[in-house]
Amino acid sequence: MTLRPDITRGEQKAKLSMSAATLPVLPWTAFDEASRVHGSSTGPAVASVAERKRALEELLRARRLQADDPPLRGEDQGRRPLATGVAELDALLAGGFPRGEQNEIHGPASSGRTGVLLALLAHTTRTGALAALVDPLDRLDPASAAAAGVDLARLLWLRGPRPRGCAGWPSGASGGGEDPQAKALAEATAAVATLAGSGLFDVVALDLAGADHERRRLPSTTWLRLQRLVEDTTTALVLVADGHVACSPGGRALALEPAGLRFSGPPGPACLLTALTARARAGRHGLRTAELAFAAV
Amino acid sequence: MYGGLHAPHPLPDAGALVAVARSFTPRVEARTPTPVLLDLSGLGRLWPTPQELGRALLDAAAARAIEAQVALAFSRATALVVARACPGLTLVPAGGEAAALAPLPLALLELQAEQQELLARWGLRTIGDLARLPPAALAARLGPDGPRLVHLACGEDAGILVPTPLPERFETTLELDWPVEGREPLAFLLSRVLEPLTAALAARGAKATALAVELGLVDATTHARRLRPAAPSGDARTWRTLVLLDLEAHPPRDAIAQITLRAEPTPARAAQFSLLDPAQPAPEKLAETLARLHAWTSNGRGGSPQLVDTHRPGAFAVSSFAPGPLPRGRREAASPLPRVALRAYRPPRLAHVLTKAGVPSFVAAPGLRGAVAAAAGPWRVSGDWWDEAFSREEWDVALELRPGRAPAGSGAFRLFLDRLRGEWFVEGELD
Repeated sequence: MTLRPDITRGEQKAKLSMSAATLPVLPWTAFDEASRVHGSSTGPAVASVAERKRALEELLRARRLQADDPPLRGEDQGRRPLATGVAELDALLAGGFPRGEQNEIHGPASSGRTGVLLALLAHTTRTGALAALVDPLDRLDPASAAAAGVDLARLLWLRGPRPRGCAGWPSGASGGGEDPQAKALAEATAAVATLAGSGLFDVVALDLAGADHERRRLPSTTWLRLQRLVEDTTTALVLVADGHVACSPGGRALALEPAGLRFSGPPGPACLLTALTARARAGRHGLRTAELAFAAV
Repeated sequence: MYGGLHAPHPLPDAGALVAVARSFTPRVEARTPTPVLLDLSGLGRLWPTPQELGRALLDAAAARAIEAQVALAFSRATALVVARACPGLTLVPAGGEAAALAPLPLALLELQAEQQELLARWGLRTIGDLARLPPAALAARLGPDGPRLVHLACGEDAGILVPTPLPERFETTLELDWPVEGREPLAFLLSRVLEPLTAALAARGAKATALAVELGLVDATTHARRLRPAAPSGDARTWRTLVLLDLEAHPPRDAIAQITLRAEPTPARAAQFSLLDPAQPAPEKLAETLARLHAWTSNGRGGSPQLVDTHRPGAFAVSSFAPGPLPRGRREAASPLPRVALRAYRPPRLAHVLTKAGVPSFVAAPGLRGAVAAAAGPWRVSGDWWDEAFSREEWDVALELRPGRAPAGSGAFRLFLDRLRGEWFVEGELD
């Protein structure tokens, strides 16, 4: 706005104040979007403070309903499930793994349990939240996690003890009489309890796949105790195992079955493993299923 | 009156000269480590003549094994410049500043490098040469700095002494009438020690970045621990929890008779929160949680995984968990497909592999045995020939696992042939 030299200073001030009252107020893009929502143009009709507030609230409300967006400061996160970012899985899980619940992903070897877990960790850490993985068998491959899109700086990884033999897991009781397997799993569940109780992490995952025999020796109250720890928090506890372990009444159980491997061509020097396929079933009674393909290249 | 104290030779301790000055007056301006300017006003009641005061300063420095130079003058600049130039004790009477400074080299005035170079080009060598220049002409050439330099060269210094504050120590000691053992009484006592300490920090707008804990034990030894959490904290409750957790992991060997806590202060960080960014965890809470996981984090079993810049398969590092704020624009579109992940066996399992025409046909390894249904490969990787060389052929295979030892059914695995050792290994399961 330029001041006209042919009018007096008092007239200029009066003109300026009048223009301010009738200006389209905010040049924010947010405001433009709000105007589109209301179907009105950015003109005097939406100039009042009340309308501006309403427009902003509309925007915030609309944004809050987008499950992909990071939570706003002060927003109640309890009702928003944790999505995996995989459309088929999120549809199957009715939005994702619910917070404050004990969830599980189970299936045999090469059924995509780790792929689903890494997709969940990737989607969680990319929104700026923190995730923790308790890995008593020390199975996580950081390169796979990075390839799946996990923000490694936001992932707390607790690894199990270094195995003594080549078999990957200490076998049998040690000379001291204390079973190292039971000790390692007890330590892992204690760490999960600490992480879940802190409320700092959106996802706390316990990877029990491959330790089915040892897991059965844990007291059954372990899972009840963990469920009680997370139920008032915004943390989703996820157990990964070979078979069904525990799932709270409000939690999601995702059962996976391998459906085969896909190769780029006939066996030969140029053959590539392109995908691993699996069938996913949500709920203990298999009411909903989906076909999943995990990309290998 | 001002006193200039200078040590021409390197000092054993950077604060030694300041300590000498502080033994005479609290109003000390330290230009670390030397020279030091003292405000001597009021000291005439203790030392009747300036000579005696000057000698006392020299004696105090000599007692600390410092060969000092002392100048007493009525202007700050004169005291500092003369102390740096003249050995022993020099007294500059009132009005004699210009004469005292005149023969001294110009470099002692601590001019800017450009000014020093310019005055040298003009042929000025001593402070007296500068003092003789007309201020108005110098102002025309150097601007407002010109007259200021002339006044400085004449010993006229309008500046005031800015006392250097004493280094603050945030330390509290509690001596106990009866020694204590156990967590609960110690927790109660720690609160008593920590609350005034954190209150003192808060009064200075500071937080503690580290806490030194010294516990005097009944057996006359000291149990010393130093805690440095990931983020500074000014919260007494957080520090108490951290100290207790640390003492649980490293218990003292006897009952505690004295508690000393010393905090290292750091300015409190002011964080500007954003409405639209995701909420970040409180650093104190994170530090407390990590301290509770001390058994995992202390021996490298806990932290953030990090990729390392190498082609060596399976190489990674684990760093301490300290997530920073999420950079703006960091969010990328998620991959439309989930990815196959490797469940690594550490160390890789030694395997017996039968091959047909160079392609694996049967695999037997601890916990794993079956015929190869399909195979993709080989993919050759080698490197680090200058260090610990590796060379391998990788295969992704689908195994028809034999019933018996779990797992039975089928599965996809990554095998590799170590070409340097000629042995097969199972690197992990594809899942």
